Amino acid sequence: MRKFIINRDKKATKPTDEQIKRQKDFSRLHHEYERLTKRGKRPLYKDPKLFMLLFIIALVLFLIFMES
Amino acid sequence: MKNMTESEIVEMAKKDKSYFGVLYNKYFEQIFRFSFQRLGGMEDVAGDVTQQTFIKAMANLSRYEDRGLPFSSWLYRIAQNEVSMYFRKQKKNYTVPVDENRIQDLASEANLSSYMSMDDQSHLVEILNELDEEHMDLIELRFFQELSFKEIAAIYSITEANAKMRTYRILERLGKKWKNSK
Repeated sequence: MRKFIINRDKKATKPTDEQIKRQKDFSRLHHEYERLTKRGKRPLYKDPKLFMLLFIIALVLFLIFMES
Repeated sequence: MKNMTESEIVEMAKKDKSYFGVLYNKYFEQIFRFSFQRLGGMEDVAGDVTQQTFIKAMANLSRYEDRGLPFSSWLYRIAQNEVSMYFRKQKKNYTVPVDENRIQDLASEANLSSYMSMDDQSHLVEILNELDEEHMDLIELRFFQELSFKEIAAIYSITEANAKMRTYRILERLGKKWKNSK
C-alpha cells in the first residue's frame, strides 16, 4: 500500500547518474531474456500436474472403453 | 544506425534482438527515472522493474504497432503495469516522497489555494492518501512525475482529452473533500 509523504528533508526523488550507471546493463538484460525465452522445455513425465491430467484422461477413456 | 528513424530501428529489432540495445540505450534512463520516482527512490526495486519492463518489451516486440506515438509511450505503459503489479504484491505500506512544490502545483490546479501552509500541505496529502489506487496513479503521473496528458493518454491507451477529463474529475473530487474537511 502506497502512501505519499511530503519530502521536507529534501530526500532525493531523482536517481543520481551513478545509480543510473549501476543499473544500466544491456548484456545482463539480453542474457536474462535468453534464459527466460530459450530455456529447455521440461519433459512431460517431469511435470506432475500435466502427467496427472493426461493419466486421468487416459483412465477415463479406458473405463469408457471397458464399459462398452 | 544514426540516420535510421525510430520505427526503422524497431523493425530491425523485431528481426534481430541485438538491435534492441539501441532502444535500450535510448530509453533506459527515462524508464528508470520513472520507476525510481514511482517507487519512492528504492533503487534496486526500480532497477528490477526497469529490467522487467525491457524484457517484456523485448519479448512482445513483434506485437508492437507503430501508431505514431514515440516508442517510449509503450515502454511507459509496460513500466506502469510493472509498478502496479509490484504495489499489489506488497503487503506492507511504503512511502513515496513528494516535493512541496509539486503539492503546491496540485493545490493551484485544483483551485484549493494559491499558497498552502505546511499544515495545509499535510492535510492535502492525507486526502490524497484516501484516494483509490487508480486515482493516485493518475495524480502521481500528472503532478509528481510531471508527464504530459499525451504521455498519460498513451500509457492508459486513451485519448488525450479523456486523460484530461479523468484528471480534472479527480481534482474536482479532491476539491470537494478539501472543502468538506475544512
